Amino acid sequence: MKIIVCIKQVPDSSDVAIDPESGTLIRMGQNAKTNPYDLYAIETALRIRDEVGGTVTALTMGPPQAEEMMRDAYMMGVDETVVMSDRKFAGSDVLATSYTLSQGIKMLEGADLIICGKQTTDGDTAQIGPAIAEHLDIPHVAWVKSLEEVNDRFIAVVHQMSGHVQVSEMPYPCLITVDKDIFVPRLPSYKTKLSTREKEVRFLSFADLPDKNLSRFGIIGSPTQVDKMFPPEAAEGQVHIEGNSVEKANRLVALLSEAKIL
Amino acid sequence: MPFPYHKINGQDIAHFRTIIGEERIVEKEAVKKEYHHDEMPEYGVYAPDLLIEAINKEEISQIMKYAYEKNIPVTVRGAGTGLAGGATCKYGGILLSVMKMNRILGVDMDNMTITTEPGALLSEVADAASAAGLFYPPDPGERTASIGGTVVTNAGGMRAVKYGVTRDYVRAIEAVLPDGEIVNFSSNVVKNTTGYDLKDLVIGSEGTLCILTQVTLKLIAKPKLTWSLVIPYDSIEHCISTVPKLLKMSFVPTAIEFTETDVLDMVEKHLNKRFPDRSSDAYLIVMLDANTKEEMEKMVEEAAGTAIGAGAKDVLISNTAERSASVWSVRAGTLEGLKADSLSQEECDVVVPRSKIAEYVLEAKKISKKHGIRIVTVGHAGDGNIHTELLKDPHLTEQEWKVNTHACLEELYAVSKRLGGQLSGEHGIGIGRLEHMRHFVGERMYRLFQSVKMVFDDKNILNPGKVVALDSKGRCGA
Amino acid sequence: MNFIHFDVDKCSLCHVCIEKCPFDALHMGEKGIEVGEACRMCGICVKACPEGAIRFEQKAGQADKSQWSGILVFAEQEQGEIHPVTLELIGEARRLGGPKGYEVNVALIGGEGTAERAEMLKRYGVDKIYAYEHEALGSFKADSYTKVMADCITRMQPSVVLVGATALGRSLAPRLATRFHTGLTADCTKLEMRENTDLVQIRPAFGGNVMAQILSTESRPQFATVRHKVMDAPERSAVATGEVVFCEVAEEMVSSAIKVRSVHAAERSCGIEEEDVLVVAGRGVKDEKGMELVKALADVLGGQVCCTRALVEEGYGDPTRQIGLSGRTVKPKLIVTCGVSGSIQFASGMKNSECIVAIDADPEALIFNIAHYCINDDLYEVIPPLVERLKQKKEVCSHAFSLS
Repeated sequence: MKIIVCIKQVPDSSDVAIDPESGTLIRMGQNAKTNPYDLYAIETALRIRDEVGGTVTALTMGPPQAEEMMRDAYMMGVDETVVMSDRKFAGSDVLATSYTLSQGIKMLEGADLIICGKQTTDGDTAQIGPAIAEHLDIPHVAWVKSLEEVNDRFIAVVHQMSGHVQVSEMPYPCLITVDKDIFVPRLPSYKTKLSTREKEVRFLSFADLPDKNLSRFGIIGSPTQVDKMFPPEAAEGQVHIEGNSVEKANRLVALLSEAKIL
Repeated sequence: MPFPYHKINGQDIAHFRTIIGEERIVEKEAVKKEYHHDEMPEYGVYAPDLLIEAINKEEISQIMKYAYEKNIPVTVRGAGTGLAGGATCKYGGILLSVMKMNRILGVDMDNMTITTEPGALLSEVADAASAAGLFYPPDPGERTASIGGTVVTNAGGMRAVKYGVTRDYVRAIEAVLPDGEIVNFSSNVVKNTTGYDLKDLVIGSEGTLCILTQVTLKLIAKPKLTWSLVIPYDSIEHCISTVPKLLKMSFVPTAIEFTETDVLDMVEKHLNKRFPDRSSDAYLIVMLDANTKEEMEKMVEEAAGTAIGAGAKDVLISNTAERSASVWSVRAGTLEGLKADSLSQEECDVVVPRSKIAEYVLEAKKISKKHGIRIVTVGHAGDGNIHTELLKDPHLTEQEWKVNTHACLEELYAVSKRLGGQLSGEHGIGIGRLEHMRHFVGERMYRLFQSVKMVFDDKNILNPGKVVALDSKGRCGA
Repeated sequence: MNFIHFDVDKCSLCHVCIEKCPFDALHMGEKGIEVGEACRMCGICVKACPEGAIRFEQKAGQADKSQWSGILVFAEQEQGEIHPVTLELIGEARRLGGPKGYEVNVALIGGEGTAERAEMLKRYGVDKIYAYEHEALGSFKADSYTKVMADCITRMQPSVVLVGATALGRSLAPRLATRFHTGLTADCTKLEMRENTDLVQIRPAFGGNVMAQILSTESRPQFATVRHKVMDAPERSAVATGEVVFCEVAEEMVSSAIKVRSVHAAERSCGIEEEDVLVVAGRGVKDEKGMELVKALADVLGGQVCCTRALVEEGYGDPTRQIGLSGRTVKPKLIVTCGVSGSIQFASGMKNSECIVAIDADPEALIFNIAHYCINDDLYEVIPPLVERLKQKKEVCSHAFSLS
């Protein structure tokens, strides 16, 4: 079985703020790390590989520094890593990013199973996985919380809906996005670091891709634009509810309804 | 006569009302039950006659002058997070809370110190230091402890391997003596050879010598990176025998903890917290601090080489906050997991020389077998402070549990002593360890302890019945 | 249609696409294959073309905004029930579209009973309710739901499509937006419509530390997902103004690679850490009757009962549900503390909860320092009317859908 895991390098802290004067983003964390949610995807891929056999390839789109993240992926036990890096990819939104990744997957001659984390800690959109599946025209299931059955023909997964859990089965090729806590991600291994020292991280650029239509990549291929960023409104202060007991009860329900907590 | 103590009456309360605001005096029946015990009600539940919440040292001084004159016992209380029954009114009297004295008076950047009142929480002090770009290392796990409480119990924690314990960070103490006088122990200086070092006597005195009203603590530069290594072993012997080797490296690890697979099972089963590796029987968890990634990578190389050379199966690297959380949240959930897995628990927190940890752990396993009591050892491998948990299983009768745990404890303390260890490495003596104290330290040493107590507190009114016991006359030896 | 793109160099004019199109939307024109109005974006032709000459495409900067008007709301159904976020989306759609005189239409997709449930939506000020009923749509399958929604979007050509940011919505919307090669903004907390019909979408980013304002100025439709309990639901009107449009579900739309093995109610997690709503009993609870009150409150709020350490010691509390330092750390959306004094040890285990309601008889109780809503009263006095009021509110809500 061939498994591709799509991962992303994110700032090591989402502890950011907006400069009230200039309106620009102040990033606190300078270091980068693998998006924590993607570690669950890698762990899921490695477990499936270890059970069913096959290979795991980690794929990302990002700056060349993503190589460091791929070293980490090697230390976790993936077999192959690919970084799609090109200035032409800069400014990609969900549509362009998912398209670029789907092009990368085509370059790798596809996969039986594609696994994504549920979302990233910087974008929080949780949209890339289903969008890739659409570009590749393969079925997907999102928010997978556990695996029910995996073999060389199909995968059956348990996934969360609003008030229910659903068990869905798909043949390959297909895509899943996995929820946090599906498994505890393994830690990078020092011994594996030594044994994968010579392994290369493959780089792909725009020129390598099958689709050369620039209008589908980067900022040109991105229908959404971030117009501006601003700090969230400060949380409201404390409310003391007065009156007799019945009045207090009624007032509380009214306030909680107003605040959409109920 | 110092004993029996004077029973607080209406006249006394009226007097206290002239010193303290009405709303900060709570009479016996109205005192909330959480003030009757600390985090270990097993070591006694005692109702105070009066709860007073002081807001400054002058108030405390006046309270003590009166209490000294009238012979009323006074027990000081911080956040009440102790684990030895230390901050409870064993003989009734006044419970003096310092939690309203919680101002952090400031960080002195030139001297690299922070000065605070005793009721500030450890977490608040650590955060204030961090906000100034500095670091207060002692972290006994309990971050909602009052800072005063951590000083008078000389709190340790796992970072002691590299950074030492609370004692190593106390520069100066301002305190009220039992007779009400306000004194200063040392000042904000790095060296001091001015007579006896009474400041060090006060640290760890568990509120039996004086009442801390202000403390100045040393801060250090904040390390920029913290990583952890999880090191799996097939046997606990190889696991523990790596520790002295790790301590001989070219740098000092911040913390070295050990845990075994049965503990991980319990935490997983009861708290649903899963450790990131379950392939092995025993694990060392090593924390490393560094300022640059290059420095960190070098430390990891050296530690990994050392561990694998000593029989480790691999070295797993936790290099992000999330990964570290998956490691340390399991370690932090250990006590709760053990509690959930047993009907009752008894604990001893001995400390042994680091070279003797393996021997102690193996002896503990033998003692467990001999008395039919489940004993789990976890803890601070790097500093020799081993939390030894005795667990009650359902098949034991109350009587068997009581008799057998007592026998286990006696033997465990004897082993610790034989190996050159001490009765308590953390949490103090309080009430919980009192019965074993005299035998452990020996008659002459115990009399010295009693004499020290009497020098500070000749009427034995300050937190009586803790650390050293009262004799039949209510005196404390000498 | 500008979505289906024929690569003239590759097209061999073999007619396979024309034959395979289930909607009879493709015709041979003068300059090659032409796409007609009947196209439902099903994608059959893309797959059928032996030359690989057909693909979906709408380049950024190509949409003619005048061709797209009105707002389409995706009405989520789960196991035969309309998700309450639907009404909130309708309310928001009406607010946004009002000034432009936009139609507000709803797409309701599901299995048996869908057409009946469509009737319920008629009284919320919507124009059309497109009902797609087919037994194969009874459970969610991302691929077939995408095809059905694509059909509806092609029919209506809305300027904006609103989808609930539920597990289902967030699985469906990105797939759909990709099919139309347009922008999707997830988890919007605020929406505004500009004069030129551009939707101003505001959402939290970086874990809520920053708000981002996002626009899709060149493409249509504009997709946004919105969380439950963010927007205002409209009042139910006495008159039914909406019209139900029964839409044919072609077999191609329901063909799916996904097989649903089973659907069952989500199990309550055994731990209290995962719960959204918690009601805590503290020392103010003096007896079994007090515990019953707390339980009743938890039931009506749909949450679980927890306790303080003090209550465990009193023998009323379950130690596995104890919050605080020597117990669990929780971060629910709503926590109601009943008779809890709020010691540091307790507070450290729950102070990061999103909304804290404190009920305690002691005005000096520490819990009031951290609570968002403070009720200084005896819990035995306040909880009974509170439970009563919450029950009334619940009934009103459940009636909203049951009366047509």
